[in-house]
Amino acid sequence: MKDTDKVAHRLALLEGVSFSTADLESIVAEIMDLERVVVELERFSEGTPWISQQAQPVNKKV
Amino acid sequence: MEGSDILELNLADLSRRIGARELSSLEAVSAALKRLELLEDELNAFITVLSDRALAEAKQADEEITRGHYLGPLHGVPVTIKDMFEMAGVLTTGGSKILAEWVPETDAALVERLRGAGAIIIGKTNLDEFGHGGTSTLSHFGPVHNPWDVMRIAGGSSGGSAAAVAAGIGPLSYGTETGSSVRRPASYCGITGFKPTFGIISRQGSFRGAWSQDHVGLFARSVKDIALGLDAVAGFDPRDPASVTQEKPAYAARLDANVKKLRVGVLRRFLEGADAAVGRAFDDALKVFANAGCEIVDLDVPEVSYAAMTSMVTSSAESAGMNRRWFRERHQDFVPHVARGLAVGMTLTASEYLTAQRARHRIREALRGAYEKIEIIASPTTARVAPLLADGVKGNGDDTRHPSYNQSNLLRYPSMLGLPGCSLPCGINPEGLPIGLQLVGAWFGDQTVLNAGLAYQSSTDWHTHRPALARC
Repeated sequence: MKDTDKVAHRLALLEGVSFSTADLESIVAEIMDLERVVVELERFSEGTPWISQQAQPVNKKV
Repeated sequence: MEGSDILELNLADLSRRIGARELSSLEAVSAALKRLELLEDELNAFITVLSDRALAEAKQADEEITRGHYLGPLHGVPVTIKDMFEMAGVLTTGGSKILAEWVPETDAALVERLRGAGAIIIGKTNLDEFGHGGTSTLSHFGPVHNPWDVMRIAGGSSGGSAAAVAAGIGPLSYGTETGSSVRRPASYCGITGFKPTFGIISRQGSFRGAWSQDHVGLFARSVKDIALGLDAVAGFDPRDPASVTQEKPAYAARLDANVKKLRVGVLRRFLEGADAAVGRAFDDALKVFANAGCEIVDLDVPEVSYAAMTSMVTSSAESAGMNRRWFRERHQDFVPHVARGLAVGMTLTASEYLTAQRARHRIREALRGAYEKIEIIASPTTARVAPLLADGVKGNGDDTRHPSYNQSNLLRYPSMLGLPGCSLPCGINPEGLPIGLQLVGAWFGDQTVLNAGLAYQSSTDWHTHRPALARC
């Protein structure tokens, strides 16, 4: 997927809320940074068990 | 006793005098309100001041104490709370235009407990909108100014609370923390800030920043005062899903400055990039612990490198989820920087959020292993002193591309993982600005953190330094 398509896909998640051009530029820069961060986190967390709800005995909340 | 002398008293002394009727609650509350009125134009630390109500409650507290109905260390003591907590019949804004006129009908759990303890709430403090920020400049009600230098930020998001305590407007304030919103402002304002283990203080009736990281924390001038303030509000509350069952709090009674053989870990790789004065103050603090008989242990937990990024993705997604309806219907009423942050959070996908939770689990397990070798992790709270207001939100250096970003990992891991942590004043830089020392314990090691802090404050006097503005 092209970068511009990726960004368009992301911005579609804003549920129709519109921003000024300057705000959108700032939002897109943050989104691109987050995409990089998520790729790093994906690499880092590889092999880590998926978390799940932990069962606890009644009245033994920790 | 003169009003300014009353404001010099720490909570323990003030409380003892009120309990012994050597000083009235009315005198203490009046002195705090007078200081507030004198400094508010410079600090902008408050959104709502409750003068009439507080004075009436102080008179009532004096009557109760005279009748022998003494409720304990907070009875009749003036305190402040961040405007994140609902208070029946009192404006509760979250620092937002969206709730600029909202008056709730019920009290938050924190307010209930403070009332039960007889504390007098004199005002609600300014903050970053709904806790979304680290500067206290992102408020609909304008920025909070630092009492040490009003051209600088107080830190956030609980900046109004930290500025109030630093300026002597009450000895105790309660705030909230999602990323570093208690420890950072405490460091910038030269006071003691403490955030307990996740679930120790109920969050019921407070606005959420990011529910899996939100904590209630507190500010005072010393660890002793923090322990008294914590005893009054800690405890299980079934209305908060994160609340934990716990013994009746007795943190103050269990304070013990003997920390011989305590193992203090240092994550050296994360100290790079700190200012020289911060580095020197931290090295000196380690010597204090070594002289007290602690063992200083070099730790390497490389997983902490991912703490700030993981925390940021988690809080972005959770805060967007929390604010989704307001974002859709009233996005123009958010502070612009906060609205942009929520927009970024809205674009995160479920799988990306879950990736962050997996990373969080890995970091948690790495630290669980580290805490088998040590009891406390020490570091500077922030790499630099309070930045200038003119530097805006970039001044904190939290951006992943900023040179001092390294330090963000040290600030973010305690709140992301629910660990108890405090910031203590540990020095003054050449410009006369306070430097903070962070101590972080293992889960439910709250008493250990407080004891280590007490040991430090028993051997140093940094916590007794006051900004010039607080000597008026």
